[in-house]
Amino acid sequence: MKVAHYVNQFFAGLGGEDAAGTGPVRLDGAVGPGKGLGLDVAVTLAAGDDYFGEHEEDALAQLLRWLDEEQPEVLICGPSFGSGRYGYACGSFAREAARRGVPAVCGMHPESPGVLAAEGAAYIVPTDVKVTGMRDALPRMAALARRLAAGETLGPPDQEGYLPRGLRRNEIAELTGAQRAVDLLLAKLAGDVRTEVTAAFDDVPPPPPVVDMTTATVALVTESGLVPRGNPDRLESNRAHAWLSYSLEGLDGFEVADWESVHGGYDTSVANADPDRLVPLDVVRHLVAEGSIGSLHETLYTTTGNSTPVATAAKFGQEIAQRLRDAGVQAVILTGT
Amino acid sequence: MIGTNRTVRGVAVTSPVGDPSLGEEDERALRRRIVERAIAMLGTHVGPKTVWEGRT
Repeated sequence: MKVAHYVNQFFAGLGGEDAAGTGPVRLDGAVGPGKGLGLDVAVTLAAGDDYFGEHEEDALAQLLRWLDEEQPEVLICGPSFGSGRYGYACGSFAREAARRGVPAVCGMHPESPGVLAAEGAAYIVPTDVKVTGMRDALPRMAALARRLAAGETLGPPDQEGYLPRGLRRNEIAELTGAQRAVDLLLAKLAGDVRTEVTAAFDDVPPPPPVVDMTTATVALVTESGLVPRGNPDRLESNRAHAWLSYSLEGLDGFEVADWESVHGGYDTSVANADPDRLVPLDVVRHLVAEGSIGSLHETLYTTTGNSTPVATAAKFGQEIAQRLRDAGVQAVILTGT
Repeated sequence: MIGTNRTVRGVAVTSPVGDPSLGEEDERALRRRIVERAIAMLGTHVGPKTVWEGRT
């Protein structure tokens, strides 16, 4: 089994911060932490952290050339622990190597920028934030590297001890969904919180407050399924494929005779008896007339928010937000159901 | 409320800005209070995810 190992200037013994500008270096055999892997490290590749950051393209080109010449069965990078620059270099090199067919294993703290840089192409063993985690990290990295070099396919991240790579694989489950759900609930009651689907939440920083509402243009947006009666554009009652827009000009409220909700995710009888219960057009008109809101954007944006995939909902949101931005809208009242 | 930064608690899923148990005038007044809260919140600096709780 032939192993290549990447380290930074410090772990290669080239120097500390003063040597961070060192270009790529190729050394025979194991150096520094590579000696603790318990593997036959054929070649150690190194670069200064600053050099890599400032000349990423050149650094990667040189490192990949050496990798091509050596033809290792696996590349190990780091461990880089909580180090930002070193972690970034490890993740980037590992990603490129993996995409060229050399499986790669990194070791770094889960919050290292190298995790993002690896883009799921490389396997990343989570480590402590500090170098004192070396003895714990090396055998775990070596174990994965050994199996990857042997051409083995690794199991899921939580079983194999690497960070999720953002991939999903289909597999046949032995138990039904209901049984697995109950098992997860029982595990949670026992204090073990697990999930089969790791959701990535998109944290949007709150926009700064509107400076002066009395001059602001406010828009009304809803996912309540509110449409003109008869649903002329055939908005779906669930899994909507589109958002729609309707003019509010001349309307002081949503009249029962003219508007209805086609949402399939809640009982619409209460809303359809008075659609203002879904979108407060009547009140907003009053507030505009009284001067506490500058003006109303004269277009309603609407869709059905029901079983909508997050990616679709995010796309709707971005498209509507772009329209509102182009129209000079400063604030939105979005009613949800 | 997932991921939204400025949230005012409405009345119910079936009528976020209305309450059929109230008379027409009271219901309109309730809707107005909810919107006024939303307007106030739009003018308020918030950290990530702020929910204004309590009865409107």
